[in-house]
Amino acid sequence: MGKIIAIHSYKGGTGKTLLSINLAALYANRGKSVVLLDLDFRAPSLHAIFKVQDTDYWLNDYLNGVCEIQKVLVDLSQTYTKKGRLLVGFANPSTEAIREMTAKDRKWEMKALGRLLSLKPSLLSDIGLDYIILDTSPGLQYSSINAIVSADVVLVVSGMDISDIKGTQRMIDELYELFEKKTGLIMNKVFADILLSKTQRSELANKLMNSYSLPMIEMIPCFCDVLRTGSSTIFATEEQEHPFVKTLDRVATTIENL
Amino acid sequence: MSLPRKVDPVSTTLLQRIKESLDSLNEKMEVMIEIQKHGSRGTNQSEIPDVLDVMTLLSLPDHLRKTAVTLCKLNHATADQVAEQTKRARAVESGYLNQLVLMGYIKKERRGRKAFFYVEREENQNERKAPWAKS
Repeated sequence: MGKIIAIHSYKGGTGKTLLSINLAALYANRGKSVVLLDLDFRAPSLHAIFKVQDTDYWLNDYLNGVCEIQKVLVDLSQTYTKKGRLLVGFANPSTEAIREMTAKDRKWEMKALGRLLSLKPSLLSDIGLDYIILDTSPGLQYSSINAIVSADVVLVVSGMDISDIKGTQRMIDELYELFEKKTGLIMNKVFADILLSKTQRSELANKLMNSYSLPMIEMIPCFCDVLRTGSSTIFATEEQEHPFVKTLDRVATTIENL
Repeated sequence: MSLPRKVDPVSTTLLQRIKESLDSLNEKMEVMIEIQKHGSRGTNQSEIPDVLDVMTLLSLPDHLRKTAVTLCKLNHATADQVAEQTKRARAVESGYLNQLVLMGYIKKERRGRKAFFYVEREENQNERKAPWAKS
């Protein structure tokens, strides 16, 4: 059976969305069937990156019990992959929808968890898709914890900022461990000069793995040209030979073997 | 004196009833043992909201959280089915599930001889319709 991968971080701006999109495109280019879901209901972003202005149903509708998940998914395979399938579920970016989602009560969140948990039997078992990638909101919010509980694998993305490192450490101890999740760490936007030296690289990796007590999946250098495009280029589709994509390729293989 | 080879239907029904009563008694004892082990704190329904959301899951003790998360994934399951997933003994899971029932987080229903546990997520028609949803 396929896997549900949640991409999460303590702070915003760590590169979760960029990694989610490119990982989804990369798996699709390997011939896999992938669903990418925008679970950041407070700050939806996938619609802007994939240039989707409107859709019949949003992910919000699925969680509200208005429709089934199949109605939410937009098939973008033709544009972004020649081999596999890429289906995307968008969060509603309207202010009204964001306001509505932030005012949900605990009972609604419990139902939303049930709906997220049912994605595994409905999409992975029944339809036979390979991966569901959940792009979550940062920190400890209902939607992100629901995503973590529903996932098989959690990728924690952290920057080198001390507040990010401390917060991520706390999150690992007080959240991931309690739910016994397979969790891996991705350090993103690491200064390239540290990674160039083999000794410095392994010292940093050991130091971070010891403080996080998590396996280090990858340390991704800060690629200025990737950041400069402002997510308008999906590198895993358009620049497949770029070192960023090569790095993500290793991440994809590691997750496959988890 | 040799035993009769066939048991008459009346005796079969009676035996079945005795077995069901023993099962029920066994489950009640498991719950009592669990409550004794972990104290009665947390079983007063008026003090605790009966919503099994992620915040409740985080607040549960480890042994109950594992059972509750497994039931959330299975949706509707017997103690046997939960035990199969958690790799713990059926009697242990039965005790934990019954404790969660007492705490008001999950529901229990009997179908014949089997007891099923589930998380109640009834749909409220008024909240189904999102303001932006198209007809």
